Amino acid sequence: MLASDAVQVMVRVMSPYIGDTMARSAAEAHCRRLGVGAGPLSDQQLEALLVKVGGGLNIFLGREKAATVIAEVRRELQQTGAVAR
Amino acid sequence: MSVVGGRVAVVVVLASVLLFVAWGLAPEAALFRDAQSQHALLALASVLKLGLLVAGALVAFACRDRLEDGNPARPAWALLAAGLFATLAGQLSLAPYQLFSGQSPFPSVGDLFYVLSYPFFIAAFLVFLRAYREAGFPMGSAAERVGIVAGVGLLAILLAVVILRPVAAAGGADLLERILSVAYPVLDLVLLLPLALLLRVALRLGTSRAGLVWGELLAGFVFLCLSDMLFAYLTALGQQHLDPYTHACYVLAYGLVTGGALQQLRLLKA
Repeated sequence: MLASDAVQVMVRVMSPYIGDTMARSAAEAHCRRLGVGAGPLSDQQLEALLVKVGGGLNIFLGREKAATVIAEVRRELQQTGAVAR
Repeated sequence: MSVVGGRVAVVVVLASVLLFVAWGLAPEAALFRDAQSQHALLALASVLKLGLLVAGALVAFACRDRLEDGNPARPAWALLAAGLFATLAGQLSLAPYQLFSGQSPFPSVGDLFYVLSYPFFIAAFLVFLRAYREAGFPMGSAAERVGIVAGVGLLAILLAVVILRPVAAAGGADLLERILSVAYPVLDLVLLLPLALLLRVALRLGTSRAGLVWGELLAGFVFLCLSDMLFAYLTALGQQHLDPYTHACYVLAYGLVTGGALQQLRLLKA
C-alpha cells in the first residue's frame, strides 16, 4: 500500500474527531518524521505511523478512545489488504 | 449532564444574555427601572456566574480525571480547572454583596482570587500548546509562531493604550482600584498571546468534535478578556450604568468555557 493511501484511510476515520485538515496534516507530518516517502509502506513503517498517530489522538481523546479509533483505522486498512489479518 | 440538560443550560444562558443586553439598551424600561428590579437582575447575574463556574470547574477537573497518567493534556486540564476554581472563589466572595445588598464592591477580597486565576489560565494554555507540539501536531514554523505572537502583541499594545490611558488617568479612584483596573486588562492581553497560537490549532480542527471543544473554549476566553476590559474601562470612566453589558459578557464567557469543557468530557466518555 502507498503511504498516501494509508494517510487517506487515517484521515477518513479521524476527521470526525479532529477534522480533515488536522488529521491530514498530522498524518503527513508523522510520515515525514518517520522518513516515509511517497512510495509503498512497509509493515514496520505502517505500524510506527499508527503508533505515532494514536499518540497524537491521545491528547484529544484519551488513551481508551484513541485506541478505539486506531483499531478502526486498522480495520479499514485490513479491508484494503494493507495490514495482515 | 444529559444532552437535554445541556440544551436547557444553553437556552438559559442565551436568554439571560439577551435580558442583560436589553437592560443595557433600555435601562428606563418598566422591567429595569426600579432599584428592586436592578437588585434582582444583579442577583440573577451573580447566581448564573456561580452556577456556570461551579459546573465549568468540576467538568474541567473531570476531563483531567478521565485522561490517563502521563497524558500531556492532563496537567493542562488540571490548570484550567484550578483557574476556574479561583474565579469561582472570587465570585463566591462577591456573591453575598450582590445577593443581599445589590452592590458589587470594587476592589474586594474577590479580586485576589480573580487575579490568581490568570497564572493558572496562562499556564494551562502553554501546557496545551506544548502537549500538541510534542504529540506531533503541526504548530507552524517558528517564524509563523513569532509572527502570530508579534501581531497579537502589537494589537494588544494598541488596545492597551486605548483602554489603559483613561483607566490609569482616572482621578478620584484609590491606588488599589487603579492598580487592579490596569492589571486586569494587562493580564487579559497576556492571556491573548497563547490564545492566538491555540486559535491556529483550533482552526485546523474545523467543525470536528475537538474543534467544537476549542471553538467554545477560545470564544469563552475571548469574551472573558472583553468582559475584563469593559469592566476596567467602564469603571474608570464612571459609566456603571453600562454594567449590564459586562454581566452579559461574563455570563456568555463562563457559559462558553463550561460548554467547551463539557464537549471535551463528552468526547472523552464517548
